[in-house]
Amino acid sequence: MEEYLNIKGRVLNIQRYCGEDGPGTRTTVFVKGCSLRCKWCSNPESIKLKYELDFNRKLCKGAAACGICMKAPFPEGAFYVVDGPDDKVQANWDLANITEDLAELCPTGAIGIFGKEMTAREVLDEVLKDESMYRNTGGGVTISGGECLLQPDFVAAILRGAQESGIHTAIETAGNVPWEYMEKVLQYVDLMQHDNKLMDPERHKKWTGVSNKRILENFKKAYETFPDKQFITRTPTIPGINANEEHIRAVLDFIKPYKNVIDYELLPYHRYGLGKYVFLGKVYELKDFESPSPELLAHLRGIINEAFGRENQEK
Amino acid sequence: MIMKDIKRVAIALGAGFTPGINAIIIGAAITAHRQGWQVVGIRDGFEGLLFPERYPNNGLIDLGPEAIGKLNPLNSDAMGTASMVDPFNVRTINELEMVEEVDLSDSLLGNLKKEGIDAVIAIMMGRGLSILHRLNQKGLQSVCIPRSVENDMAATAVTFGFNTALSFTIEMLDRAMEAAKSAKKVGVIEVLGSRSGWLALQSGIAVLADAVVLPEHPCDVQKLAGHLKSRINRERPYGLVVVAEGASFTNLPGAVSEKINMLKKALSPLASEDDSNQYVISRSGKAATVLSHALQQMMTDDIFPLVLGPWSRGGHATAVDRQLGLVYGSAAIRAVKSGQFSTMVSFMPPEMQFVPLIQSLNKVRTVHDESYFIDIAHLLGIFTGS
Repeated sequence: MEEYLNIKGRVLNIQRYCGEDGPGTRTTVFVKGCSLRCKWCSNPESIKLKYELDFNRKLCKGAAACGICMKAPFPEGAFYVVDGPDDKVQANWDLANITEDLAELCPTGAIGIFGKEMTAREVLDEVLKDESMYRNTGGGVTISGGECLLQPDFVAAILRGAQESGIHTAIETAGNVPWEYMEKVLQYVDLMQHDNKLMDPERHKKWTGVSNKRILENFKKAYETFPDKQFITRTPTIPGINANEEHIRAVLDFIKPYKNVIDYELLPYHRYGLGKYVFLGKVYELKDFESPSPELLAHLRGIINEAFGRENQEK
Repeated sequence: MIMKDIKRVAIALGAGFTPGINAIIIGAAITAHRQGWQVVGIRDGFEGLLFPERYPNNGLIDLGPEAIGKLNPLNSDAMGTASMVDPFNVRTINELEMVEEVDLSDSLLGNLKKEGIDAVIAIMMGRGLSILHRLNQKGLQSVCIPRSVENDMAATAVTFGFNTALSFTIEMLDRAMEAAKSAKKVGVIEVLGSRSGWLALQSGIAVLADAVVLPEHPCDVQKLAGHLKSRINRERPYGLVVVAEGASFTNLPGAVSEKINMLKKALSPLASEDDSNQYVISRSGKAATVLSHALQQMMTDDIFPLVLGPWSRGGHATAVDRQLGLVYGSAAIRAVKSGQFSTMVSFMPPEMQFVPLIQSLNKVRTVHDESYFIDIAHLLGIFTGS
C-alpha cells in the first residue's frame, strides 16, 4: 500500500452522487476549515478548522426522559430547555465547547461533532466505491470545503490516489493560501473551480476578511504554471455586492489571456444558509439581501456568453 | 462577605445600541467614587483591553468625578461599542494572511490585572451573557446589568432600555393611527421583537390597536381578517395592527416559504426542511409586508405596511429609563462591594436583587398565554392571535 495515503486530515462530509461540482456524477469530499469569512457563506459549519458541536434536536428524547447533557461532565449552561411544546434540549454554542468523548455520552446521537479525522486512504476508499459510475458518466471526485487547500498534503494525497486509479479529479477553492499549497495540490488536479468574488481589493476585504491581491496572483500563477489543466472561474452573484456588469467585465478581462480558463459561471446568491446560522448560534449578516432576479442573471450571463463566443439562450 | 481589596472597577458595554447608557455609567461611577474606588470604561466592548495599542490611554476611558460630571444621562456616548464582544473568538489575520478566530481571553484577563482592575460591571444582553459566564469561569469578577429594548431577558422584570423603546413606539403608533384614520386604511405596523412580543403587546394596548401579533402566539390570519372586518365600519373606517418582527402565522394565503434547495440539502449535512406548518418571518422588515399582503387578499379595505423596527433603538432615554439606569448602575457597585460576583442585577419591583447570571442565560422572557397583559388586551377587544 502507498505510504502517502496514511496522512490524516479533517473531513466535514463525503457526499456521493453530486451533479454540480464538475463534469458527470461525482463524489464530493467537504473538508473543514476556511481562510476567508465571506459574509454570504452558506456552509458556516465548514468555516472553522477546529471541531465544532453538531446538534440534531430532532433526535433528542427530552430532558425528563434523559437530561444527561444538562449535568456534569457537560459544561454548565451548554444544553438547556425552554418553555414550549416539548422538553427537548437546546444548545448554547458559546458554552458547548465539547469533545468527541462527551458527545458519545448522548444516547440518541443528537449531540455530535462537526469534522472527523480521516486518513487519505479512508477517504479514497469511499471515493472508489463509485468508480464504475464515474466511468459511465464522465464524473470523478471533487474536493470542496471550507477551503480544501488549507490541508494541501492531505488533499494532494487523496487526489494523487484518485488519479492513479484513473479517476477525474477536481477541486473547489477560493485561492487564499500560500502559492506553495496550491502548487502542491494542482499537480494532481484535472479541473480547478475557483471563485472571483470581488475584483476591488478593499471591497474584497470588507466582504471576505482579506484583500484579493494574493488570490489573484495565485490564479495567474496557476494558469501559467499549469497550462494543461482546466480552470473554471465562478462568482457568487449577490445584488448590492457584485451582481453588476462592472464586476463581470473585470473578471472577463482577468481571464481573457488564458485559454485554459474554459468557463465563467455565476452562482446566484440564496439565503438557504440562514437557518444554519440560527442553528449554529451565529449571526448571518446578509439576512436582508435578496437573490438576483432571473432577468439580471440572464443579462449578466449574456455578457459572459458573448465573451466566450456562445449564443445566448433564454433559460 | 465584605470585599476590602476593591480599588478599581471597569465598565464594559456589550454589542448593540441602547439609548441612555450614560445613566448606568453615572450611577455606577458616583457610587464607586463614594467608596473611594477608581472607575474606568473599557473602549468598544472589550476591544480596548484586547488591543490596547490601538487606542489612546491603553484602551481605557477615565470615568473620574470630573468626567462623570460632564456626561449627559440621556445619551449613550461615553464609551463606544463593538459589533461583537467575544474575546474567545477574536477574528484575526494570521502570518499566512488567512482569517482565523483566536482565543484572547487570557490576554484580556491579563490586561485587566495589569491595569489593576478588580471587578467589571458588564452591561450586556444576548450572547454577551454566555461570554461573560465563560470569563467568570476563568476568574473574572463581574456583575452584569441587563439591557434590552425588547425586554426579553429572563430573571428581571424590566431591562434597561425597554421603557425608552416602548415610549417611542407608542408615539409612532399614535401617528400611524392618525395616518390610517385620515386615509381610511388599515395600518400594519411592524415593531421590534424577534423572540418576545412585549414591545408589540404593551404598545398595542397603549394605542388601543385592533390586533397585536406576537412571536409567541402564531396568528391565524383568517381569524385576524375576520376580527378586523367586525371592527371596521362606516363610522370607523380604519384600523391598526401591531406586528412583532419575529411573528409567526397560520392560514397565510399565498405564502411561499423559502424551501431548502435540494442540491444544497444533499451537499450539506445541516440543511433540512422545517417540518412545521408555520410560516415564520426570519428577516426584519418583512413581517408587516407579508401580513399586509395576506390581509389585502381577504379584505376590501386598503391595507398599508410600515416598519418602525430600528428607529426605536435611537434617541434619548425616557425619564423612567434614566432613573432605572442610575439605580441599576448603583446597585451593581453594591453587588461588587458585597462580593456577589457572577451575578446579574435584577429589578423585581419594588426590589433590586442580585441573581446568579446562569439564571438569565439561555432563557427568553416571553409573553405567556396566561399573562395578565394578554387578558387586558382581550378585555379591551384587542385580537392577539387566535
